[in-house]
Amino acid sequence: MIRKKHKFSISPYLFVAPSVLLFSLTILVPILLTFAFSFYDWNGFGKMNFIGFDNYARAFHDRIYLLSYWHIFIYIILTVILEVFCGLILAGLITMNRRGSGLFRIAFFTPVMLPMIVVSYLWKFVYNSDFGLLNAVLNSVGLESWTRVWLGDPKFAIYAVTFVSGWVYAGYYMTIFYAGIQRIPNDMYESAYLDGATNWDIFFKIKIPMIRDLVDVAIMLCVLGGFQAFDLFYVMTNGGPYNSTEIVTTYVVKVVFNNMSIGYGSALAVIMSIVIAFIGILTNKLKKKDSGSLEY
Amino acid sequence: MAAAALSAKDRENNNTGNSLIQWLSRISYYGFMIVLSCFYFYPMIWLVLSSFRENRDIFTSPFKFPDHINFQNWVDAWKIGHISTYATNSVIVTSLTVIFILLFASMAAFSFSKLRFRGSNGLLMLFVIGLFMPLQSFFIAQSYIFDRLNLKDSYMGLILPYIGVGLPLAVFLLKSFLDSIPKDLIEASRIDGCNDRILFTRIILPLLGPGLATVAIFSSLNAWNELLLAMLYIQNDDLKTLPVGLLAFSSRYVTNYKLLFSALSLITIPMILAYVFFHKHIVSGLTEGSLK
Repeated sequence: MIRKKHKFSISPYLFVAPSVLLFSLTILVPILLTFAFSFYDWNGFGKMNFIGFDNYARAFHDRIYLLSYWHIFIYIILTVILEVFCGLILAGLITMNRRGSGLFRIAFFTPVMLPMIVVSYLWKFVYNSDFGLLNAVLNSVGLESWTRVWLGDPKFAIYAVTFVSGWVYAGYYMTIFYAGIQRIPNDMYESAYLDGATNWDIFFKIKIPMIRDLVDVAIMLCVLGGFQAFDLFYVMTNGGPYNSTEIVTTYVVKVVFNNMSIGYGSALAVIMSIVIAFIGILTNKLKKKDSGSLEY
Repeated sequence: MAAAALSAKDRENNNTGNSLIQWLSRISYYGFMIVLSCFYFYPMIWLVLSSFRENRDIFTSPFKFPDHINFQNWVDAWKIGHISTYATNSVIVTSLTVIFILLFASMAAFSFSKLRFRGSNGLLMLFVIGLFMPLQSFFIAQSYIFDRLNLKDSYMGLILPYIGVGLPLAVFLLKSFLDSIPKDLIEASRIDGCNDRILFTRIILPLLGPGLATVAIFSSLNAWNELLLAMLYIQNDDLKTLPVGLLAFSSRYVTNYKLLFSALSLITIPMILAYVFFHKHIVSGLTEGSLK
């Protein structure tokens, strides 16, 4: 049997064709077309006027647009703490080999399973100033002075929304870290206990260093996922009060629909995509640089 | 007997300080974990309990257990809220999306992982874009194209973009599954005369089982929860999926809180049940998905 080594075969292309075609038609072509739209002054119906980089110039002077990056920055920093850091602590707590820790693990993961729209409404109600759970709890423990219109207060709204994100996803990252900790061989703990290590020592000196690479991945997921946040903000505050929770994604949607500025909205979307691509490349570089020899 | 009792007592005496600390640490551990669990569960319990109340009671006595468990609110929400229609639409859109993602992504992953062809790296790189870009980076033009193709207000108008959005992660996950399958297996089946199609259907697909399950969990959760595109592309109330349906429901019954709470409970319970029955698979699926 003689087989030519580099025979051209059509079949690999047939196998990738459906995916590549569908992905191109629904995602890639629209991305490129959005880029094209961004050079026009256009409301979606009337005439398209080519205006070059005017939309981009306008974007860099748009106070709300710039503010929305500041909000997403706050949101990402806080979610890394609330989700990744708290998730790490939760993972440490449920791997202490106490009885019943499996139940706690289920409890902390449950919010991940709730549809995001349900989470958004649930917490909108919890924060409600008239009948919300939060103010009711504060009243019942004698902290009446702390009660407020949580989502209506420009100073607190963004933290209130961010907190909900932490409530949902800390359990998700906990589960990732839990899986990593399960893979640490048991004899490491045994020899540490023989040396007199406490649970704290084991957490900080064995568990965390051994899942260091997972923590890096989690931070990357959290940062890039933060830019994709939309549902929670859209349903809970829709950018308000007074733009205090406006993030990039909600603002783009608002510009396109409320103002009917397809061209300007496209420019905002293009800038956002470039920022995300830049941060994606950056985090990937950082990750490669300091990732050790640990491999899962 | 006496000796045994004595030695046990001795041990206890010797370790009093130590066991007191252990006891305290156990108490504080469980105390902390129980408070934390309440913080996780109580909002959900409150949601369900409130759905049994009257609007007036929701305001006046938020902690009180409802006088009687009456499902009338749920029945009302189900009937006037078209929730059965929304749920049916969600099931149709989600299941078709997942089927196509599984089929197309496994074919592509097979080709990328086990067949050599010119341009494979370049094509793979294209999919990287899809991993990071939010919907907002393409929905403007996508909406324009779908308008032109008359895809809006149809199931296809949601299924197509959901497949497009889901494919990149699915392809990368399945490819990394296939990369761990030894080449010898492929070589051996080639010598036995398998062509690419038979290799895929007889050898690769059965091996991909766990990978396909992970992808199915990921993509069904995403499609089930998707809000923005469903909101933009579907205006017809009979075709709305659950997230958009709920949005419409809440804007219609802004102040009828018992109906809102009931609708939310109705939507939550199937997800919680699915989680209770499949939690091992869901958890391992989601963790593997993000670790690969």
